[in-house]
Amino acid sequence: MAKVAREMVEKTGINLDQLVELLVKNAAAELTTFYYYTILRANLIGLEGEGIKEIAETARIEDRNHFEALVPRIYELGGNLPEDMKVFHDLSACPPARLPKNPKDVKAMLKVLVEAERCAVRGYTYICNLTAGKDHRTYDLSTAILNEEIEHESWFSEFLGEGPSGHFMRRGETSPFVGKFLR
Amino acid sequence: MRRFDKKELTRCNGEADAPAFIAYKGNVYDVSRNFLWQGGRHFRIHTAGSDLTHCLDLAPHGEEMLERCPVIGEFPEE
Repeated sequence: MAKVAREMVEKTGINLDQLVELLVKNAAAELTTFYYYTILRANLIGLEGEGIKEIAETARIEDRNHFEALVPRIYELGGNLPEDMKVFHDLSACPPARLPKNPKDVKAMLKVLVEAERCAVRGYTYICNLTAGKDHRTYDLSTAILNEEIEHESWFSEFLGEGPSGHFMRRGETSPFVGKFLR
Repeated sequence: MRRFDKKELTRCNGEADAPAFIAYKGNVYDVSRNFLWQGGRHFRIHTAGSDLTHCLDLAPHGEEMLERCPVIGEFPEE
């Protein structure tokens, strides 16, 4: 635990227990999404599915990166991860991104993916609003994750025909925003 | 449509075997089956069995999330 860092955050009026719980819930959402996306990716097959597979894989890897980046901050602030993985799964900030009943329905797959990303966008926006100008380190981390989650949402939204994402898929390494927290 | 008073709503807090109901703008929503309302708690911030009409402004989502839960009654606003 980073004692003084924790005190500085507390002095700003942030409810630290609440913030830590939000971070743990979002870490759970990231890791469980990584797991569920593994199943979705494996089922993205055929002419339509293959076109989405690579982008789903990028989102999957970046969600795992988000988990990895969140964990140190949780412990710095005096929090911890539950010992029981089942408990961790159930306290996720987002519902499970389960495989749709008909895995051949690519549109249904995309809806699961975009809903998961939208949940994440809402969650990190909330944490950013909570920590802006107060807890600079958590804000920096949440903003970085939010940047990537917004891009994920826009990719899947584009595939659903909701409009252009405005950018192209990743070239080179994953996590252009969160990468600095992983080094 | 069943009408709830404050006492009835408070009992539906999602604890033990109680269902988890919340009130919003005069309607009562059943959130018992919602993943994010397990045990009658929504994150650390909200508890079932209460009127959350004035809480949504601060939430990272709008009314559209409530539309996913069934309306099971009315809660006349005071």
